[in-house]
Amino acid sequence: MKRLKIKKGHQFRITGQPSQEAIHISDSPVVAVLPDKIAHIKPRLKITQGQPVKIGSVLFNDKRNADFRFLSPACGTIKNIQFGRRRSVKAIEIQRSQKDESHIDFGVIAEHKLPSTGRKELISRILEGGLWWIFRELPIRNMPEPESEPPMILVGLDTREPFQPSPAVYLQDQTGFFHYGLNVLKKLANGNVVVYSDQNNRDLPEKVKSMLTHTIQGNYPCSDPGTVHFHIKRSAKENRAWFTNGQDVVLLGKLLSQGRYPTSRIVCVGGPAAPVRKHFQTRTGVGLSHLLKRPMIRQNVRYMVGGVMTGYTSDANGYMGLMETSLTMLPEGDSPEFLALFNPGYKKPTYSRTFLSRLNPGSLSYTCNLNGARRACIGCMHCADICPVDILPQMTYKAILAQEVEEYLEHGLLDCVECGLCSYVCPSKIELSQTFKQTKAAYAKQRPAAT
Amino acid sequence: MNPIQNFFDKQRKHFEPGGRLAPWEPFYEAMERVFFASPETSPQAPHCRDSLSVQRYMMLVIIMVLPCLLFGIYNAGYQSFKAAGQSADVWTMLWFGAKIVMPLVIISYIFGFGWEIIFSAVRKHPISEGVFVSAMLFPLTLPPTTPWWQAAIGISFGVVIGKEVFGGTGRNFLNPALTGRAFLYFAYPVQMSGDAVWIVVCQNGNRIVDAISSATPLAVASTVKASGTAETALTQAGYSIQTLFIGLYPDSIGASSVVLCIIGAVVLMIWGVASYRIILGDIFGVLSVGYLLNLLANDGSMPYFSMNPWYHLLIGGTAFGFAFMTTDPVSAPDTHAARWVYGYLIGALTVIIRVFNPAFPEGIMLAILFMNIFAPLLDQIAVKVKLKKRIANV
Repeated sequence: MKRLKIKKGHQFRITGQPSQEAIHISDSPVVAVLPDKIAHIKPRLKITQGQPVKIGSVLFNDKRNADFRFLSPACGTIKNIQFGRRRSVKAIEIQRSQKDESHIDFGVIAEHKLPSTGRKELISRILEGGLWWIFRELPIRNMPEPESEPPMILVGLDTREPFQPSPAVYLQDQTGFFHYGLNVLKKLANGNVVVYSDQNNRDLPEKVKSMLTHTIQGNYPCSDPGTVHFHIKRSAKENRAWFTNGQDVVLLGKLLSQGRYPTSRIVCVGGPAAPVRKHFQTRTGVGLSHLLKRPMIRQNVRYMVGGVMTGYTSDANGYMGLMETSLTMLPEGDSPEFLALFNPGYKKPTYSRTFLSRLNPGSLSYTCNLNGARRACIGCMHCADICPVDILPQMTYKAILAQEVEEYLEHGLLDCVECGLCSYVCPSKIELSQTFKQTKAAYAKQRPAAT
Repeated sequence: MNPIQNFFDKQRKHFEPGGRLAPWEPFYEAMERVFFASPETSPQAPHCRDSLSVQRYMMLVIIMVLPCLLFGIYNAGYQSFKAAGQSADVWTMLWFGAKIVMPLVIISYIFGFGWEIIFSAVRKHPISEGVFVSAMLFPLTLPPTTPWWQAAIGISFGVVIGKEVFGGTGRNFLNPALTGRAFLYFAYPVQMSGDAVWIVVCQNGNRIVDAISSATPLAVASTVKASGTAETALTQAGYSIQTLFIGLYPDSIGASSVVLCIIGAVVLMIWGVASYRIILGDIFGVLSVGYLLNLLANDGSMPYFSMNPWYHLLIGGTAFGFAFMTTDPVSAPDTHAARWVYGYLIGALTVIIRVFNPAFPEGIMLAILFMNIFAPLLDQIAVKVKLKKRIANV
């Protein structure tokens, strides 16, 4: 087991840490799949409103690669399909039937038969079983081409982003599936599987600890697969590694060893404004209102599905996305604070040393306020000091504005792990991270295929 | 409800689109931000943002310049009474000093901020808080006798030509305050240099039109007779190390007190607002070239060559320039490596200009402006070197 120390990054001190127990909640009557929250795909619907579906029925696939299927997590009927602007598919809502849990059978591969199963066979089983989305390919973070062979597959058990499910919770009683899933990954990547966890994570089951290849020490986003990959890759040949995470590997293990599309998810709810702070054992695509149970009377609270730094905003009637496993709630902070400019700031979160909070060992008060207004870049270098993959974000940003493609690629735009720290620290409130994400996505559409 | 909030709420409608003062919305925004933080929330991930804003960044610089301003006010009054041979209590000297200095500061703010408002209305960009720092630094670099109209022209040139024509704060490659100072220096050398501009003459507590000659430490050091040494000449002229350190001698308004500049620089470095790389680079530059000149000095060379290099840090505007001018992040290079080089070359050039060019007794202003121009080049080199280490990813 190797140790990896990542120096740059930032530690968040938010209150609202969820407890380390998984509460089993009653199944939600309506679940949904949110196609437009899955980046880099174009959904083609395979169902219509009112149509009955089973667990594992195809809801939609990708227009660019019809093998990328997305399956129904519940048995019931299609209640509603929400469309957004330009007919983007925002949500496919499924009304669950009360008793019926019938599912489509994908066939079982027993664990002892795994070594003799070919790579192609496994891939087609995963594609068929609708779990290809658990793999994404660096640097674009799109779903990889099934024919390509990854230089390595990274499996992150935890991330340092606040309030993500703890591996100790989601691996409880699931280590068998996890082990099975890892063996599948080893077949896919010719044995080059990197399994890593935070160094300080002591609650991991002993059996899982023995499967780790790396432990990571550092602050957010040290456990992002992009960060880890950046620090362990040796040459440009390894650029297009695949990654997934611990909970998704469990899903993979379940799919192939049970022969049915897995629907169980551990979702973590936390944050200073959250009414409950716990891990929930629930179903993929659960509604937020079902998760939080009590009536949503709280005003001025932002619901962030996926995390404070990388998640998307949802309203209380929204659903958990396919890939997201955490819900964070922060006060909106949209009332102007009187004399904030002169506040010594004992509770104000900051990366800089300009507030007294640097001397405060306790937790700080976070809101969604921008804490300033858009200004020109003044070259404070905070973004470059915090970037976990040594990009010079301010220079890269200027190259993007000047449309100097070669220059921003040379600056390492594609190494960007989309952690959002550059936008977080910027005193001029420039949307660096968002710009990088969009530029990467635009570049991904045009770049040459892997050679 | 907060009465100040009431006031702003009432005025807001005039500045909103369609209101009669709509073009001056940036002015309204700047004024409101002094009292109230923005209610704006983050539009997308990351959902929470750092509490540091550009406003606070600039305000912290102003806070650390204020002691220099207060000392400058006192010193201006003190020197006038001292030259007149009168004694007075502290408050009288402060009051007299304020009458000398505050008009220059107020003029600087009126014209600097005025140009910023005009440009922000015409160019439709928000008012950037950098102008408050420039308008504070600029008068502190002037001699106390500067005519008011010259101060107005100087800050106008600094803000407009040094900054606004390039797009405002963030896009200026020159330090605006020093650009204004340099303009006055070359346009009106009589009022900006020489021996007669450093003391406002007073008689019975009133300002009179006259001049008192007083050589600044720079002038003393550069005109030492070949037989003496610079250090003894300075001491004989009344500039002991202690005097130079505390700064109670006739000089530019705010630049004389080394101790206050050190305090300001140290606090700004602790806050992370000033780059310690630049300041340490500055000091290394001065000391290394100073020692080099010591080594080159022989019997025939000027005594200035063999002056202890630490004196270069004490005399003239070195301390003020290093603490507040070189550390301006916009006109300095962006990369850390380039900042070391930038600082070092400023220090080196300061000594070289001072010692080799008697026409310009003060080298720091030109050294900083010169290196401002080279900052993008230094960045370019530093970035090229840094990018070589990356594993290509396309």
